[in-house]
Amino acid sequence: MNVVELVEVTKVYELPRGSVKALDNVTASIEAGEFISVMGPSGSGKTTFLNIIGCLDTPTGGKVAIGGENINGLDDEALTKIRRDKIGFIFQQFNLIATLTALENIEYPMILKGVNEHEEKSKELVSSVGLEEALGENKPNELSGGEQQRVAIARALANDPDIILADEPTGNLDSKTSKDIMQLLKDTNERGKTIIIVTHDPQVASYTKRTFRLVDGRIDSDGVFL
Amino acid sequence: MIFFEFAKRNLARHKFRSVLAIIGIVIGVLAITALGILGNSVQLAVSEQLCMIGNELVVYPYGEEAISDDNFEKIEKVAEAIPVQSMGDKATLNGESTFVMVYGMRSEDIPKLLEKEAGQFLKHGSLNCMVGSRLADNYELRVGERAALQSQKPRIVGILAERGVGFDINPDNAIIVSDKMFDSMYNTTGYNSVIVKVEKIEDVEGAKEEIEARLNKKEEVVMVMELKMIVEGIKGLFNTISIFLLGIGAISLVVAGVSILNVMMMSTVERTKEIGVMRAIGTSKREILRMFLFESLILGAIGGVIGAILGFGTGFLVDVLILHEASYLFAPSSILYVFVGIAFGVGTSVLSGLYPAWRASNLKPIEALRYE
Repeated sequence: MNVVELVEVTKVYELPRGSVKALDNVTASIEAGEFISVMGPSGSGKTTFLNIIGCLDTPTGGKVAIGGENINGLDDEALTKIRRDKIGFIFQQFNLIATLTALENIEYPMILKGVNEHEEKSKELVSSVGLEEALGENKPNELSGGEQQRVAIARALANDPDIILADEPTGNLDSKTSKDIMQLLKDTNERGKTIIIVTHDPQVASYTKRTFRLVDGRIDSDGVFL
Repeated sequence: MIFFEFAKRNLARHKFRSVLAIIGIVIGVLAITALGILGNSVQLAVSEQLCMIGNELVVYPYGEEAISDDNFEKIEKVAEAIPVQSMGDKATLNGESTFVMVYGMRSEDIPKLLEKEAGQFLKHGSLNCMVGSRLADNYELRVGERAALQSQKPRIVGILAERGVGFDINPDNAIIVSDKMFDSMYNTTGYNSVIVKVEKIEDVEGAKEEIEARLNKKEEVVMVMELKMIVEGIKGLFNTISIFLLGIGAISLVVAGVSILNVMMMSTVERTKEIGVMRAIGTSKREILRMFLFESLILGAIGGVIGAILGFGTGFLVDVLILHEASYLFAPSSILYVFVGIAFGVGTSVLSGLYPAWRASNLKPIEALRYE
């Protein structure tokens, strides 16, 4: 089954200096369980591509289906629900909620969804991303970058989503920690999760099995990273 | 309730700022509660003095001539009537000479209109007298002593309770004698005024019209003054004062509201990125709205309760110091201001939080995420 289906997707931003085509007639399908990197120079449309799949942005034209559901024309509430239930986000700056502890950050999406056993599940998730349970009581600013990103990965996995979207997940980490995080994402993929990573870093792309190269809003190449 | 928890923690994150916002609400609510209680207490104090005469009419002669016995009988047919004779005169009290008002009343009427503080009321046809409370205080008069009036030396058998300013008679600085005694001292006929008491305050109008119809048939003989109007006028005046006081309180609350608006706006701007993250991972607009409204609700509730408690305390002090009477404080209408204060505090706070909360909830997740 295709978890992501883009058909002739176009995104045009109207800016004061004129309109900018961030995506130009992009067609792509991603199957369940794929491990994908999206590369390309700055301004090539990588982030827009990710935002549209992540239901954070809506296309100007074309069709988008996530987990088999057509998202064209859905209202904010419905899109929010898709983000909550079907998509996990990982950010370059980790973006944990500062007032919540690590465990609470992981619990949060489950509480939003109304999952009852969120406490037990968050503890399982903490150890599954390789953190000691005791660290879970810490606030994000008491954790190292690598630890924060592990918590963020656990949070992204909380509602057992169809797709994990990661925007430069190692961009703020040193190379040793980057390798650990990529290994964790690879393990997560091997357990069956579809993962899409936007990156500049060939090192990161080398972990993935398929790479989209975007140039000027178009998919320039689609294949195994070389 | 995760969003309530969020609100609590976010306020705790900026303790100083939150405390300042709360102080604003405390002051506003304190002002509303204390001024409300003060206004209400004054109103209660005034009404207490006025309500007993609200169902009275006072009939005065229109011209020079007093109200005749004939006319008095006509009045008596309408409702219970108390004839009063009065005369300003010089009296000697405890050796000091002073000018006093002397009222002549039928002895059976005196208890209907006045209360005594010490001694007895006058017996029928008595040649003794009663004195008003202020007179008794000023000249240190006691029951059993004598006053000197004209050529008479009536014995003081009773001292009246303080009555305050009246529209019918002012007994506090007066000497009350029986009608018989009055007649023997002053060679007058008729009455200077007739006080008419109706049972219900609603009957005042009807009684007034009837008395006028009966007595002023051919020419204007009497003037009928209804005290209801005056009482209501005065109550209205104090009501206005009360509202004015509340208005002052309300202004401080508006200022507090602006400060909450400011705090909440700052908070939404600072947390733009966090809101973006929350929205991205599946928090709905409504949930963001709720989180921010909880914050202003908490500020308002804490400030409101503290302000109301302090306001009640201030109301107590003011009542005791100015009115010398704490009982008005516990009247339901005073207690009401405690809740009015809290309600206004919470209301102002939530209202001020409404716009920032709405703004926060309507941030576009993608733009909020990009915010640094």
